[in-house]
Amino acid sequence: MEGRSIGVFNVHGAYYGLRNSCPHQAAPLCLGSVQGMPLPSKPGEYDWARDGEILRCPWHGWEFDILTGRSVFNPHKTRVRRYEVRVETESDDPSVETYPVSVEDGLVVLRT
Amino acid sequence: MIETQPRQEPQQATRHGVVDCDVHPSPRGADEIRSYMPMPWRDRYSGGGRGFFGNPVHGARLDSSPPEGGAPGSDPDFLRQQLLDEYGVAYAILLPRAFCNLHPDPDFGTAIAAAFNDWLAATWLDEYNGDGAFKGSITVAHQDPAAAAREIERWAQHRHFVQVMMDSGARAPYGQRQYYPIYEACERYGLPLAIHPGTDGMGINIQPGPGYPTHYIEWHTCLSLGFQAHLVSLITEGVFERFPRLRVVLVEGGVSWLPGLLWRLDAEWKALRAEVPWVQRAPSEYVRDHVRLTSQPLERPASDQQLLHVFEMMDAQNTLMFSSDYPHWDFDSPTHAFPKLPAALHERIFSANARALYGLA
Repeated sequence: MEGRSIGVFNVHGAYYGLRNSCPHQAAPLCLGSVQGMPLPSKPGEYDWARDGEILRCPWHGWEFDILTGRSVFNPHKTRVRRYEVRVETESDDPSVETYPVSVEDGLVVLRT
Repeated sequence: MIETQPRQEPQQATRHGVVDCDVHPSPRGADEIRSYMPMPWRDRYSGGGRGFFGNPVHGARLDSSPPEGGAPGSDPDFLRQQLLDEYGVAYAILLPRAFCNLHPDPDFGTAIAAAFNDWLAATWLDEYNGDGAFKGSITVAHQDPAAAAREIERWAQHRHFVQVMMDSGARAPYGQRQYYPIYEACERYGLPLAIHPGTDGMGINIQPGPGYPTHYIEWHTCLSLGFQAHLVSLITEGVFERFPRLRVVLVEGGVSWLPGLLWRLDAEWKALRAEVPWVQRAPSEYVRDHVRLTSQPLERPASDQQLLHVFEMMDAQNTLMFSSDYPHWDFDSPTHAFPKLPAALHERIFSANARALYGLA
């Protein structure tokens, strides 16, 4: 869009847009892997979570939260540009013609 | 003193652009390597990497698998498109990963090295190399230095082999005398010796540091320890006095540790010179004259200015050469891995230093 490549991700039915460029060395993020991640945990414990919500850069493997664009290792400073995605239904179906209708003296009047 | 034979360099047009000093081509499969092996090795060889300490995330860039199939780095057209064309790389120095330095049987290691050299010469340095952009490394098995020297001799006059390569993984530091046949051959034919990580702690090789780490992140971070030990050994054993035209390239072994190590070694030498009286100059001077480092994976402190200070401390304008490590996962992009450099320094690191070392037009 407007010269920028933006990836749209479907995470459990909700849609999220992320710039297709890693803030590190500009790798194409859309060629990375979508998976979960082990949450920060006590030594020796593995707590796998957030399946389908984490995007890993295809080069250096940095993890990004698809929902926010923020990196896992430094969410405040290192992030991917995020774009709002909405699903809208198209109004004014052009295949149906409409005609003005009015009520005049108890009669419904349709003019073509 | 050993006379250096000048290498035959045919007339070649100047190719402008970046020189990438660490690029990894792969065979299309183990069978391709086996086809260059005599029996019994052809039956014995089944490919294989280093065994342990695989990257738990991914070992190669996920976008580097060729669209037509095959391993990353196995399709020359795709490599050209993704590296040479994308970044204006004029020359790619190729370092295949044979993992031959870990085998306990030196004859097997030597056979694997020879097959990789035959394969590289027939394909990437010939069939795929119409424009001469690919320059190769002669793989040697350091388990048998005499055989390694013969392998160097076999390829020394090949116009596209520009250096000799062995792993940083070893059983003893590289200054020790058992390795001297390799250095003598490198010097005789004017070929730099590249040391590349790969089999540290694997097979017969010793893990540098206090033992086997648990995780890949430890193993991979500490690869630079082996390089530091090899460099200290090369200098203090007097290798550069014995082989005054030998040049060593430390590939993928880290960059920013160099100034601190040399300050320490120079200080030790002032007191302990008498223990190694053949070290006739300050150790740091041997590095300036004999050693080059490739950049990837370049350390990036929070402040770019700090890295530029490190470059000044290590005389990067003479010692540092750009490398990407394509197609591996920690690829350094020629356009994004470095902070903004002064134009003259950029030219030295990205092109001139490597062209001077390898004799490239």
